[in-house]
Amino acid sequence: MISPEVLSIIMFLTTLGLLLFGFPVAFTLAGSALIFGFLGDALEIFNFRMIGFFPQRIFGTMINEPLVAVPLFIFMGIMLEKTKIAAGLLNSIGELFGTTKGGLGIGVVIVGMLLAASTGIVGATVVTMGMLSLPSMMKAGYDQKIATGTICAAGTLGQIIPPSIVLVLLATILQGANEEAAMLVGDLAPEPVTAIDLFAGAIMPGLMLVVLFIIFIFFYARINPLSCPPVETSKSRNEIYFEAAKSIIPPITLIILVLGSILFGIATPTESASVGAVGAAIIAFMKGELNYKNLKETALGTVKLSSFVFVILIGASMFSLVFRGFGGDEMIEHFLGSLPGGLYGALILVMVVIFLLGFFLDYIEIIFVIVPLVGPILIANGADPLWLGILISLNLQTSFLTPPFGFSLFFLRGVAPNEIQTRNMYRGVIPFIGIQILAIFIVGFFPEIATWLPDKMF
Amino acid sequence: MSALARLSIIIDKVNTFIGNLCAIFAFSMVIVVFTVVVLRYGFNIGFIWMQEVYVWLHSFVFMLGAGFTYLANEHVRIDVFYRDASKKYKAIVDLLGNIVLLLPFLYIIWKYSYPFVYRSFLMNEVSREAGGMPALFILKSAILWFCLVLFLQVISNICKSLLILSNSSLRLSSENNKK
Repeated sequence: MISPEVLSIIMFLTTLGLLLFGFPVAFTLAGSALIFGFLGDALEIFNFRMIGFFPQRIFGTMINEPLVAVPLFIFMGIMLEKTKIAAGLLNSIGELFGTTKGGLGIGVVIVGMLLAASTGIVGATVVTMGMLSLPSMMKAGYDQKIATGTICAAGTLGQIIPPSIVLVLLATILQGANEEAAMLVGDLAPEPVTAIDLFAGAIMPGLMLVVLFIIFIFFYARINPLSCPPVETSKSRNEIYFEAAKSIIPPITLIILVLGSILFGIATPTESASVGAVGAAIIAFMKGELNYKNLKETALGTVKLSSFVFVILIGASMFSLVFRGFGGDEMIEHFLGSLPGGLYGALILVMVVIFLLGFFLDYIEIIFVIVPLVGPILIANGADPLWLGILISLNLQTSFLTPPFGFSLFFLRGVAPNEIQTRNMYRGVIPFIGIQILAIFIVGFFPEIATWLPDKMF
Repeated sequence: MSALARLSIIIDKVNTFIGNLCAIFAFSMVIVVFTVVVLRYGFNIGFIWMQEVYVWLHSFVFMLGAGFTYLANEHVRIDVFYRDASKKYKAIVDLLGNIVLLLPFLYIIWKYSYPFVYRSFLMNEVSREAGGMPALFILKSAILWFCLVLFLQVISNICKSLLILSNSSLRLSSENNKK
C-alpha cells in the first residue's frame, strides 16, 4: 500500500519532470495535480470531492482587490516603455558617468535602478539596455563579461525595488502563510502582511544591492582598467548635466508620486498604480507617443501578461489543493521542524532549495508553489514574514541570472549581437550572482535592513 | 486536412476578438481606478459599486483573456529543451499536453463551477457590501468563460499540432517514395 506521503513526493517530482517538456507551466501544474488526484482517490488516500472547493478558490483570487495593482503596474510599465524614457536615461546618464573608468557600467546600474522604480518589468529593461548600452559599451572597448553581466544584473533590480509586481504577489501569498502560521501557534490576531509593508521593506535591501553592484564595478575597473575604459565626449559638462536633468525629471516625478503615496500611507498600491498608469500616459503624451497604436499595444500587453500571471496562480492552487490533500504540507512541516539548527537550519535549507529551483523555474512558479508550502512553518517558528519575504525576493532575483533558464540571460541573448559569446554572458553574471548571495546573507544576519523602514512608517 | 486549418483559423479569430475586448476592459480598468482615486482624494466621494466595477474588469481581463494569451503563446513554458526543439517535438508535446493535462483540467473546472455559478444565479446573489454590484453570477460566470475560451484554443492548437505532424509525415513518406 502506497502512503500519502510517498505519493506527494512522487507527485512533486513528476510534476517537475513534466514541466521540463515545455508545455505551459500553468496547465502542467493543474493537469498533473488532477491526474494524481484521481490516482489518490482510487487508492483511497484522497477524496476527489475536495476539488469541489476549487471554484470558490478561483473566485477568491478574482475578487482579491490588492491584486488589481498587478495589471495596473503592468500597464504603467509597458506604457513607460513606449515613451522611450529608458533610451534618454541611458544616453544621458551614460555620458554623465562615462568619462571615468567603469563609468558606463555604473551608469547602467543607476539607470537600472531608476527603471526598476518606475517600470519594474525585467524583460523590457534588459532588452532596452541590451540594445542601447551594450553597443556603446562594446564600442568603448568594454570586456564582454563585465558588460553583459552588468546589464543582466541591473535589469533584475525591478524585482526587488518597489513598485514590483513580484512583491505584490508575494505579499498575497505571505499573508495566507501568515494566517496559517498563526493557526499553528494559536495566535488569534496575526498582524497582516501587505504589499505596502513589503514595498517599504524592500527599499533598503534594494538600494544596498545597487551600492554593492557599483562598488564591485568600481573596483573591477581599478583592477582591470582595460576591461572598462572611460569614454571620450565632445559635449561640455554643462550640456551633459542639462540633458541628464531633462531625462531624469519625468521618471523621478512619477516615482515620487507613486512610491511616495504608497509609502506615506496616503494611497493603496492599487490606487497608486492607477495614478502611475495615467502618469505614464501623460509622459507618453508629452513625448508625442500617446497614439492609438501604442495604447492598443499597451492594453493587449497588459491582458497577456496579467493573464499569464493569474492563470499560473490558478494552476498552482490546483496543485497545492491536491498536494495538501495528500498531507504533503504536513510532511514538509515535520521535516523542516525536525532539522538541526531550528529556524536557521530550516531557513537555510529553504533558501538553498529556492536557489536551486531557480535554475529551472521562474520566480512566479516558486512564489505560487513553494512559498505557500514552506512559508507557514518558517513563520510559525519565528521568522518575521516581512524579513522572510525580502529574503525570498532577493533569492528569486538570482533565478533571473542562473542558466540555463535565466530570464535576463535569455532576453539579453535575444538582442545581443552575435559576436557576444553566450559563454561570456554566463561567466559575466557569476560575480553578480555572488553579490546577490552576499546580500541575502547580509539581510539574513541583519534583519533590521528590511524591517527598519516599515517599523518607522507605522 | 484543410477543414482542420479552417477550424483553427476561425477559433483564432474568435479569441483575437475576445482578446481585443479584454484590452478594452484593461483600459477601462485603468480609467475606473483612476476615477475612484480622483473622487476619493479630490472630492471625498466614494462609491462601493465603482470599486467593485474595477475588480470585475480585472477578473474579466485575465479570465477571458486566457484563451487569447494561449493563442499568443504567452503562457510561460519552461523552455530549456522546448526552445530549440524541432517543430515535430513541439507539436507532440503540445498535442499530448492539451489532451492529457489541459482538457481534463477544463472539464473538471467546468463540472464543479457550473453548479457554483448556477446557484448564484438562482439565489440572485448580490455583492455582500451595501451599495455593491448586483448580479454576482455574471462575475462568477467568468470561470465558465475561462473554460470556454481555453477549450476553443485547445481545439485550435490541437488542429495546428495535427497539421504539423501530418505534414512532416507526408514529407517523410514522399522522401521515402523518392528513394
